[in-house]
Amino acid sequence: MSKYGFVKPGMGAHEIVKKVRDSREVFFASTAMRDAGQSDYKNRLRIHDLLTLAPLYNEMGLFSAECHGGARWHVGIMNRKENPFEEVRLLRKAMPNILLQTLVRETSLWGYRPYPPNVVKYAVSYVDIDVWRCFSFLNDIRNMEPVAEVVINKGKLFEPTISFTDADWTTDQYYLGVIDEIVALCGGISDIILCIKDMAGVGTTKRIGTLIDKIKQRYPDLIIEYHRHMTDGLALPAYLSAAKAGAKIFDVEEDSLVRFYGEPPMLAVEAYFEEAGIHVHLNREAAEDAVLKVREWIGNYEWAESPFKGFDHTVTYHRMPGGAFPSSFEQASKGDFLELMPAILKVMSLYNRIIHYFDVTPGSQITWVTCSGIVNKYAKEQGNIGVKHLIGLLNKFIIEQDQNFESMDKEEQEELLKIFRNAPDDFRNLILGQYGQLPNGWPAGWVYESTFGDAWPEKIKTRNDLSPVDLLKEDSLKRLRSNLEEAIGRNATDEEFVLYLMHPKDAVEYIEWHEKYGEAALVLPTSIWREGLKKPGDKVEFDFWGKPYCIELASIGAEHDGVVQVVLLVNNKTKVYAVQTPHAKKEDKRMAKGANDIPSPVNGTVWRIGNPKRGTLQVGDIVYKGEEMANVEAMKMENVIAAPFAGQIREICVKLNELVQEGQLLFVIDKKVGSTEQGILPADS
Amino acid sequence: MKKEIHKVLIANRGVPAVRIMHTCRDRKIATTAVYSTPDRLAHHVYMADSAVHIGDAPPAKSYLNMERIIEAAHASKSDAIHPGWGFLSENPQFAQAVIDEGFIWVGPPPEVIKVLGDKIQAKKIAQSASVPIIPGISPVKDAKDIKEWMEKNAITFPIIIKAAAGGGGKGMVRVDSKRELVNAFNQAQSEALKSFGDTRVMVEKYIEHGRHIEVQIVADVYGNVIHLFERECTLQRRHQKIIEEAPSPSLRDDLRREICFAAVRLMREVKYVSAGTVEFIFDAPNKKFYFLEVNTRLQVEHGITELITGLDIVGMMLDIAMGKELHVKQSDIRPNRWALEVRLNAENPKNFSPSFGKITRLLVPQGPGVRIASGVYEGADIPPYYDSLIMLLITAGVDRDDAIRVMDRALGRNLRVEGVKTLAPLLLAIIRHPAFIAGEFSTYFIETHMDELIAAFRYNYSEDEVLKIANYVAEISALGPQKWM
Repeated sequence: MSKYGFVKPGMGAHEIVKKVRDSREVFFASTAMRDAGQSDYKNRLRIHDLLTLAPLYNEMGLFSAECHGGARWHVGIMNRKENPFEEVRLLRKAMPNILLQTLVRETSLWGYRPYPPNVVKYAVSYVDIDVWRCFSFLNDIRNMEPVAEVVINKGKLFEPTISFTDADWTTDQYYLGVIDEIVALCGGISDIILCIKDMAGVGTTKRIGTLIDKIKQRYPDLIIEYHRHMTDGLALPAYLSAAKAGAKIFDVEEDSLVRFYGEPPMLAVEAYFEEAGIHVHLNREAAEDAVLKVREWIGNYEWAESPFKGFDHTVTYHRMPGGAFPSSFEQASKGDFLELMPAILKVMSLYNRIIHYFDVTPGSQITWVTCSGIVNKYAKEQGNIGVKHLIGLLNKFIIEQDQNFESMDKEEQEELLKIFRNAPDDFRNLILGQYGQLPNGWPAGWVYESTFGDAWPEKIKTRNDLSPVDLLKEDSLKRLRSNLEEAIGRNATDEEFVLYLMHPKDAVEYIEWHEKYGEAALVLPTSIWREGLKKPGDKVEFDFWGKPYCIELASIGAEHDGVVQVVLLVNNKTKVYAVQTPHAKKEDKRMAKGANDIPSPVNGTVWRIGNPKRGTLQVGDIVYKGEEMANVEAMKMENVIAAPFAGQIREICVKLNELVQEGQLLFVIDKKVGSTEQGILPADS
Repeated sequence: MKKEIHKVLIANRGVPAVRIMHTCRDRKIATTAVYSTPDRLAHHVYMADSAVHIGDAPPAKSYLNMERIIEAAHASKSDAIHPGWGFLSENPQFAQAVIDEGFIWVGPPPEVIKVLGDKIQAKKIAQSASVPIIPGISPVKDAKDIKEWMEKNAITFPIIIKAAAGGGGKGMVRVDSKRELVNAFNQAQSEALKSFGDTRVMVEKYIEHGRHIEVQIVADVYGNVIHLFERECTLQRRHQKIIEEAPSPSLRDDLRREICFAAVRLMREVKYVSAGTVEFIFDAPNKKFYFLEVNTRLQVEHGITELITGLDIVGMMLDIAMGKELHVKQSDIRPNRWALEVRLNAENPKNFSPSFGKITRLLVPQGPGVRIASGVYEGADIPPYYDSLIMLLITAGVDRDDAIRVMDRALGRNLRVEGVKTLAPLLLAIIRHPAFIAGEFSTYFIETHMDELIAAFRYNYSEDEVLKIANYVAEISALGPQKWM
């Protein structure tokens, strides 16, 4: 261990916490490998580049590297095509001395909906992570229990996290109550680190100092980590204030990675703290090298930066979290409503007074979809005047009338009673308690009426105060796994199954992508990954599994019938790839997937449908188990397609003499189990 | 009666055509290739000194088209025709037509082909040569005949239905229960018609866990009949051999002598001429062998016999056809090597589904102890109309372990075929299987161990993985950054 190392993987939670507590220094946790990408680069930073920081981190004396979780997991399999399990393996190898940290959303883990406890526990048990930062967008501590149980049992460090915002209802008393619940859940404070997650970056110098001071008064030995985004432009003074009040760990990223919505710059924070007499445990030389290292590749990500740049102090009103900034603006830009963003942010700042929760995943998505939906609806129906009118109405109701519904005119009431009518399902589930209890009580009755219309009294009866941990029925892991295996047509690994549990559709697509393109996402440099080779003679060189490789472009042909011929030299050997463009005519071969689908066992010709005894089969015909349904000939060998069970033909998917592929769908048959059908089936002898 | 051969037309394609041309080159005999439309650029066409187009893709229009082949022989001024294996090699009408047209037929006389080609007659000859035969019935008209015969002779399942005119696994269906009988009978008949133009089928008791052993015979026109020892061809899939070796690991020397002399006896009885093979099924637990059939042609696996004896069987066939006396006596044949052959078929190794298309990359194994007979080249197309065999890999060593070791190297380290799937992963898994290494296997081996064998496939070759990466580079280079980028 280098002289800066003080905690490392393999240490128990108690030992780690004690080392931090016993030190007179403060510590940095780097969020460069997780949140820097999420908050300023739409999660596009690739492990290929982030890995270059790992050897430096190994010597830097960081408390931990948050390299996992949040939206990085999902965007990894969906877009970057990086497997979070593989990332952990690569990072462990490159920085064995560093605690690896994840960010999980209590019952939603790395996904967006609450999973039942058995799914949560299963997934957590397969992930090799040392520090588990776990937050709830409702501060509903009950929801953390399944994660806490597995993490603590594995001897890993559990880092319960309170979501922080600055509102009239988020008093010291409120937060202390939440922390009391956490302490009860974790059986004390000796084996945990408490994180305050200021994901929008709204904690003022004074506010954050007071809060930490109050917490330290109640729990003097509790280690506090302060996680803060820079959106309001006031992160550094807030950090200093937190440090003075007794926070021990601060989240930072390389100064050269910093843009506007992520965590503060590490070198600057270190210098600022040192000047104030607070000593930071940091190998500054390694940190400076890391800052330089980032400059080598960050230029490849300009395309990924938020279309909206610059600090935004109005975040203190609308509270959009750092991680949602670039993606929301990207969506607005793609949806062609970028000009509505000021109005949407304004509506968000009013909306969060009607329904109280914390704007962090999945809450921030609910806020975003609900508010952008309302504004878009007004804009579409009534144009700019409509949007203005909407803001006026909400202003009057919330600010002027202090949400006194009865004080509004009849017409205004009616309008309010329709405002949430098109709200997304997640919003409906939220106010019905499907995610857990709201931190400051349920919204007023008119919100339910506005959302559900006349059915609202019945709906409100279904609302409950239980946690999803108690509410959700266990999923059958066996059934889910067989769904996955059916989708990918082979046995799944445990890791693939965990990916599937989080994001079923994207996981299947990722697995299929990986089978086709292998390790392209890990091996290729970012410029090639994004743009490919541009002109003949351009090449990319890399080492792979201990041997050198080179891919050189020889030529790219013109598009013809939706196909472009690309000639590559792979280690000097010519290889031609026929690349289908979006104009390519899709040859839509249906493959057999389900239990009722009868596949062709071989590539060949369907030269007979039916059998000699019975003649040709038709849709609706009953077949008995083992009866020949068709015959496929390949290289002069005949292959009998026998019915796997007794049933009725629902569909015949091929024509006579059609050339079929192995696995191509030939028939769909419905299983017959009733006794009536069995009467007419020849008995199996 | 000696005749010189100056130019041979090879009425075949792929591996056999190329193999025969190699010996012709050695002997400075010119060659003519014939080809169907899709084979215009095939390997054998370029190996030959001249080539003649004989028709369209379906075998009946080309490689089974006797008239066109004989026309081609005239046109190319060939004076002999070698049929290779498969196609017309065991067709007595063709042999007769070749002779009638004044060409030398490199093979046994038509009447011998005819008599031995009929499994029913062949069994009678075996009986009269005191060679043991398996209980059976022939001919059979329908499934009812089979049921009656089984009842009368107390025969139990499994049984096997075979095309009377057949060979090469086509028209052969194993039946395990009464329920399958009708379907199986129909299938055998239908395949028999398709492959041999003859619906007659016969039925035999299926010898469970039998081993397939065959004896290579060479005979000249002067009545000299010698054997070149046996080959073990037990490893089969759907009655098609996949791995062969010589000598057989399942025979002791006394049985070896017995089986070889039985074969010579039978071939003498039928006045055989040229190269041919007598096949036996060997009931290993009971140390009994039964006559199966005679293949009246050069066999795919003749190469392993050549490697252990040092002889060139194709060359001997040419000499015999020219009326020369055998240049070796039985006592001269002293095998001193162990040889192993695998058939590299263009098939999916998991389910044997044929894989046709272009061979985009072909690296052929080299190094000590390896002999390759390839029917293809890099860039060649494998058309869907013919046999899936693309290459024979043969290795030799001082003993069986040595031959297996060399094969492991050839299959596992040197061979590379891109563009089509091949059986290579399966073949490698088989030769690494402990039961194979111990020499303990039956004709069921592959079916029984399929899951285990598939589990042993190695997938992560860096060459394959890099091609996937290159595929990504090709796509992104052609299409530019993707939507989410």
